[in-house]
Amino acid sequence: MTPILARVETRMANELQEVVVEAGSEHSPIFRNLKRALPHVPFTVVEDPKASWASLAGAHDPMGSGKKRLFLVRHRGEFLKKCPGSEGQVCCNYFVVNFASNCPMECSYCYLQEYLANNPALKVFSNMGDLMAEADRLFSRQRRFFFRIGTGEITDSLALDPYTGFCAEVIPFFAAQPNALLELKTKTDRVEGLLGLSPKGRVVVSWSMNPPRVIDDEEHLTASFERRLAAARRCQEAGYRLGFHFDPMIEYPGWEADYREAVERIFATIDHRRVAWVSLGVLRSTPGLKRIMRQRFPSTRLLAGEHVSCADGKMRYFQPLRVSMYRKMLIWIRAAAPAVFVYLCMESKEVWQQVFGFAPSCEKELGNQMLARE
Amino acid sequence: MDATSSINDIIVGYAKEKGFHQQTLERWLNLAEADREAILGLAQGLKPSENHLRDFLDWLDEISLRDGLSPRDVLSSEPLVRIFSDPRLSRSDKLKRIKEEVRRLRFPRLSRIEDAIQQTVRDMGLSSRIQVIIPPGLEGGTVTVQLKSASYEELKRLVVELGRASETDRARRLFELLRGDG
Repeated sequence: MTPILARVETRMANELQEVVVEAGSEHSPIFRNLKRALPHVPFTVVEDPKASWASLAGAHDPMGSGKKRLFLVRHRGEFLKKCPGSEGQVCCNYFVVNFASNCPMECSYCYLQEYLANNPALKVFSNMGDLMAEADRLFSRQRRFFFRIGTGEITDSLALDPYTGFCAEVIPFFAAQPNALLELKTKTDRVEGLLGLSPKGRVVVSWSMNPPRVIDDEEHLTASFERRLAAARRCQEAGYRLGFHFDPMIEYPGWEADYREAVERIFATIDHRRVAWVSLGVLRSTPGLKRIMRQRFPSTRLLAGEHVSCADGKMRYFQPLRVSMYRKMLIWIRAAAPAVFVYLCMESKEVWQQVFGFAPSCEKELGNQMLARE
Repeated sequence: MDATSSINDIIVGYAKEKGFHQQTLERWLNLAEADREAILGLAQGLKPSENHLRDFLDWLDEISLRDGLSPRDVLSSEPLVRIFSDPRLSRSDKLKRIKEEVRRLRFPRLSRIEDAIQQTVRDMGLSSRIQVIIPPGLEGGTVTVQLKSASYEELKRLVVELGRASETDRARRLFELLRGDG
């Protein structure tokens, strides 16, 4: 095992101090899987876990401390919701289901550092049955609508899977749905739990991709480029459709050669005809996130990019620069994989127009275009 | 009392007097001693508001990360020293121009495109009653054209002038620059 593969596993094996279980959750399949996968970690059952995770707020580094203890709790409220997107930007009509909160990896730019600043506990939800029942009700009620659903909004879809067995619980359910597609988005190579399952065209496994240099410098504890690519190939061979997200794209001297090579390597390894989509999005930050990044990753050079404030309050590379980045990526992707569907994440209609020569008229149009590629 | 604690005391006193947030003060105090002192010189000389000072701290920090120039290196560079010591400029003019210079160092490519756009607009030779307004940070990719007219005749004249200007290569160049094609 290489040191890179060992990274996230090392954190789970060596740094995870405790699994705190909310009373009642010890009867769930997730509890059983965690017990089996983490025999060396003490499990504590408590009536009210909130007191434990509230104490994190006072820690020196709440986000870092939050990743050292895993909470298995019931999720109260709805599991499924519309992806919030970003105000005024073209949206792809995506739904998100949150089966966990926070992530054991440490990307310097991760927006969760700000988004979960007041609630940084690493949580997995035990009531998977409620999740599937809720999804079943929604899909049955709206049979004429096709749902694209992702689990990677506030956690990595696969980082915890070897411990929770989440995918083995939900993939058979999604594989049986006539009007839903599940996307599992990851920066890991933890695909072992997927390979023996039959996705029946209803599951897309997608990788957040960056050139090796960016992965090494900014995506700490994640799998290397090579390992992500090897895992993608294994998933394709096992019958899964794939997605690739160049998001966040980082601009630095020499970025063109690095990204071009990354695109070429991906499509030299993967059959592009079975790629569901590729998305592009540049680094986004907010003043609050920049403050946190300065504290947690003081030497990151990401803060030194030429970012300006955009209409949605997020900071991005100034528009002519990012349009030029997207256009170049599009040329390289089209050269390597002519038929693959490419879209922009969290960008305005003006940017779409300048990159593609058109902009989707509404979110349904973009969502339908993506599904039409099936 | 050694020199470091003396400078720190002056900085703390200054920040307290101006009512700066603790977070701003801590960033200032966390700088290397020479940089702390350089920022103190800037603050005492130009009396920037806390928002302006935070912009300076952000930009100088980010220039340092990217270019390896310390805040003191930047603030003691020749163009900035010249503005700082120009007796013809008021304090607020100095602040404005020094901030522009530091922004130019922080956003070199953005500044170059903005300058090229401004030059193109000037080259279009429009009368002062026609204003071409460029979006902040070039975000949005659209320009606003504003006509000021006190009479029907003037409006007609300005529209004709604008129409002629829009037929030129310079007008096309303006939008090429905004799209990043320059």
